[in-house]
Amino acid sequence: MTARVTGQRFRQRKLSTKQMLPVLRENEVEKLPDDDASRHIPKVETGVEKQEEVEHHLQAVMSAAHAAASGGKVSQLYIPTPDAVASKLNYEDLYPKHFTQPATYIRFSSTVEDMIGCPYCMTSDDVAFLKSFNQKKSKSVQCSEDEFEEMLNFFEVQADLKQPFAAVDNPPVISYEEFEAEFDETVSDSARRFAKDIYNHWKNQRLMHGNRPMIPTLKFEKNLETDEADPYVCFRRREVRQVRKTRGRDAQVTEKIKKLRTDLESARFLMAEVKRREIVTRQQLAMDRQIFEQRTAVKEIKRKLGIKGDDEELLINQKPAPKPKPKVDVPGVSQRGVPGLGPKPNQLARPDGRLLDSDLHYLEEQKAKRAEAIESFVEENLHKHQKWNVGWHDATWRPITPPLEQPVAKPEFRPVFTSSQLPTPPASESSEAMEVDQTSKELEPRRSTRIRYGTPPEEVPLEAQPRFRRRTGRGGRVMIDRRGVKRARLDAIDERVADRYKYSGDSSEDEQIYPVDWTENLHIRYRIMIERQGEKQQAQAQAQNRRVIENHNRSASGHLLPPSAGG
Amino acid sequence: MAPRENSNEPGGTPVPVETGMATLATLRIGVKAFVEKDGEKRKAEILSIATRNRNPKYYVHYEEFNKRLDEWVAADRIDLTREVEWPAPEKPEKKKAATNQKSAPSKSDQKNLKRSRSKLDKELSATPESTNLNLPGKASRPPRAGGKENKDILITSEVTDGSTPKPDDEEMDLVDVQDAAAAAKAAPSERYDRDVEIEKLRTSGSMTQNQTEISRVRNLEKIQMGKFEVEPWYFSPYPIDFVDSEMVYICEFCLNYYGEVTEFTRHRAKCTLLHPPGNEIYRDDYVSFFEIDGRRQRTWCRNLCLLSKLFLDHKTLYYDVDPFLFYCMCTRDEHGCHLVGYFSKEKESAEGYNVACILTLPQYQRKGFGKLLIDFSYLLSKRENKLGSPEKPLSDLGLLGYRAYWQEVIVDMLMDGRVEANIEDIGAAAGMTTNDVLHTLQNLNMLRYNKNQHVIVLTDAVIAQREKQKAKEKIKGRRTIDPDRLIWKPPVFSAASRTWNW
Repeated sequence: MTARVTGQRFRQRKLSTKQMLPVLRENEVEKLPDDDASRHIPKVETGVEKQEEVEHHLQAVMSAAHAAASGGKVSQLYIPTPDAVASKLNYEDLYPKHFTQPATYIRFSSTVEDMIGCPYCMTSDDVAFLKSFNQKKSKSVQCSEDEFEEMLNFFEVQADLKQPFAAVDNPPVISYEEFEAEFDETVSDSARRFAKDIYNHWKNQRLMHGNRPMIPTLKFEKNLETDEADPYVCFRRREVRQVRKTRGRDAQVTEKIKKLRTDLESARFLMAEVKRREIVTRQQLAMDRQIFEQRTAVKEIKRKLGIKGDDEELLINQKPAPKPKPKVDVPGVSQRGVPGLGPKPNQLARPDGRLLDSDLHYLEEQKAKRAEAIESFVEENLHKHQKWNVGWHDATWRPITPPLEQPVAKPEFRPVFTSSQLPTPPASESSEAMEVDQTSKELEPRRSTRIRYGTPPEEVPLEAQPRFRRRTGRGGRVMIDRRGVKRARLDAIDERVADRYKYSGDSSEDEQIYPVDWTENLHIRYRIMIERQGEKQQAQAQAQNRRVIENHNRSASGHLLPPSAGG
Repeated sequence: MAPRENSNEPGGTPVPVETGMATLATLRIGVKAFVEKDGEKRKAEILSIATRNRNPKYYVHYEEFNKRLDEWVAADRIDLTREVEWPAPEKPEKKKAATNQKSAPSKSDQKNLKRSRSKLDKELSATPESTNLNLPGKASRPPRAGGKENKDILITSEVTDGSTPKPDDEEMDLVDVQDAAAAAKAAPSERYDRDVEIEKLRTSGSMTQNQTEISRVRNLEKIQMGKFEVEPWYFSPYPIDFVDSEMVYICEFCLNYYGEVTEFTRHRAKCTLLHPPGNEIYRDDYVSFFEIDGRRQRTWCRNLCLLSKLFLDHKTLYYDVDPFLFYCMCTRDEHGCHLVGYFSKEKESAEGYNVACILTLPQYQRKGFGKLLIDFSYLLSKRENKLGSPEKPLSDLGLLGYRAYWQEVIVDMLMDGRVEANIEDIGAAAGMTTNDVLHTLQNLNMLRYNKNQHVIVLTDAVIAQREKQKAKEKIKGRRTIDPDRLIWKPPVFSAASRTWNW
């Protein structure tokens, strides 16, 4: 990009693209008679091929534009192009008004092949053949255009599969028998009825084409020498960019492919299993239905014959009914009460609706049992220890085994007794658990009660947890559903009782009663604070919550519990 | 497009041209005669001859006219009262070539390949210097895996190496195009000696008998698409069966092609596509833009390329469409989204091109759609924080379209009252390369030297032109691309996709 400098009166500086240049109007510039300034600016290529740049029409238009740019008066010129005229075909017939524009931008990934149906389209020869063919047939067995195309397409596809080089090595047209062997689900039964006749037509057509495909196809590379120069060969594959080969990369690639394979295989296995399960389920349903129907039949018969006797057979028959199949596998399905059964399932099922299966042990149950055993063992030992020490006072200075702390009965969550409703919890999705100072400062901050939302701790049995759910009702009402909240009756909060608890030593830590007057100023302020805190904490809470929960659990469970018990 | 005209050959030494009177019987391919065109006689070269019902037809290319005006003419339009130019005779080097034949055909094949590559290389570097093709060092390997869509590397004869082209007249049997095409398809036998051809290519640059020459003649008569019948401008490698069809029917939505109206009607009864098969990334009251990935929508994009090749001379369909994204502009109505124009763009352009091929379909030309397409291509570049430029070579129409757009954008920018500007900032604001800004300013005579410094001059003519345009827009309504309506993130392609052919 060097400016040619002509040895004239003065040297011109190079044009810098970074430099700020004044923008002037024409009258502000001195007229240069020779106007050779532009010669000192590098000439930029037009980008048009040299041989084409000289073309008559382009030159005409460009010089016209140039004249216009320098103030000349020129009529608008166009480069002449071949015509485009209105078509004689009826557009409305060919392109029906099917398009409705969605409100949002269209997102679409189907391919042309997905959208055009059967790729074979009938030619006029086909139409003529089909017409005469259908005339010969009775009204009931007419071959539709779709069936015809389906059949022809099948022949074409199969022929291409079997004779991919038909155009080159000129093999004989494939026989009908060969096709017949290949009939698959792509050919509907209705179309197969005409297969033989259509085959003959196809064969004739094919022979007329020199046994080349009847759908005109593009010419792709065939690794022939002539490929390179043949203008009809198009869309060649590009050479894959070479990656440097190293042993490490090889291994990596192998690893990846192996993993992919196992992944795919496991996915396939999964699908197969799912399929198997669904089949079993279907069989089971069929069976159930059968049983039901037969039972109804029995009832009918009994009624007819006037047999009044006990429903012994019925009972016997019924007994295995609720139990038999592996319903537990599909908990969602199991709730469908077995038809034909009276009120009996209640006896066999647990109140929560699940079937009682004595021989089935749940892992949770087993775990819980084990945890319980450990806990009770520890507790027992604690008691023993205390009993031994009753009446004794350990006066040792820094004993090796420090005197036991009072056992914490329920190390997890202490039930909260409230005399009135709890403040509205924030939306649960934004905060899994939120630490809130339940009551006023009179309580030791260490023991502040927590209200938890969202994921409950696993170690507490589900039934024992207080659970809350916030939902929005009609008109934007906010409703709190709760479960398992122990609610102290008002009369229970006797002053004296409260008093007694207050000074009943350590146990007061476990069950505390917080009398709350919701109209109190302090409390209102508190609630406002919660609101604000909630907003502030929402961001932090996300990150902190987990830690908070852990810390909390640790402090509550103390060091006495073996970690395994904590779950 | 091959340099047949001796007079236009840059650096060509004028070779004495043999002239003489001719009769219809002696006319042959390669002869240059005067042909009547729109009331005037123009010198034209005969590219092909076909005889139907004893009436010979001549496919002629008018000198200094774009190839799209090539046409079949009847014998009576050829002026035989004037002398014609005979194609230059072949140099007597044929024997030498023939003896070479035995030595190492594979080697010379390689050479041929190398040569075509070296040519590509030359084009890539885009330097106007004349490359000596005989220099072996130049035959470096071009990035074939990279996407090049705009290059007609098919035409290997298009070499300008300083020596004059000598269209040979050996074996000048008057081949009917269709015969030739059929021969190319059915009998790829070496009717002419390949080595000789290669030798010719090396020494001259013209391969008259080469099959490539077929592509110099339009193969489709007419296409029917949507509401229009359009005359193709150039050759496009649609299936060879269509050379016989009077009309090729192209489905407006899936762009599939049919040689017969019956087939086409049947297709329309089944086709359910109503818009280009991709995601809509832009929509305003007037047009929608769809982004189509060449790899994912191979059929559709191939169809699109075949179609656009009918109107783009410099497009090559040599390679597949995988490394390109296609941005398709449509107008909408109850029938569907009608493709109006499109531009393709490399997924990753080494040269920083933001457009590979760009086309407004002929039936929609001169309606301002081209400007919208160009504007949209620059909007994408701005979104990518890149400067873009269209891939070269530009066609004549492409150059004019871009110049008009650049002029409007730059003049608008300069007329906002600023007192100084620099070229790089203008480019950055418009998403244009510095070179294109420079080109535009220079072309409009706006860069001048005044009082010892360069200045940008808003000339009266330019301002007047812009005002006139604005007045026109006021009447006709101004169509623009609204950047806020573009919902698009530059697609990212991983190293793996780059390696595995996108």
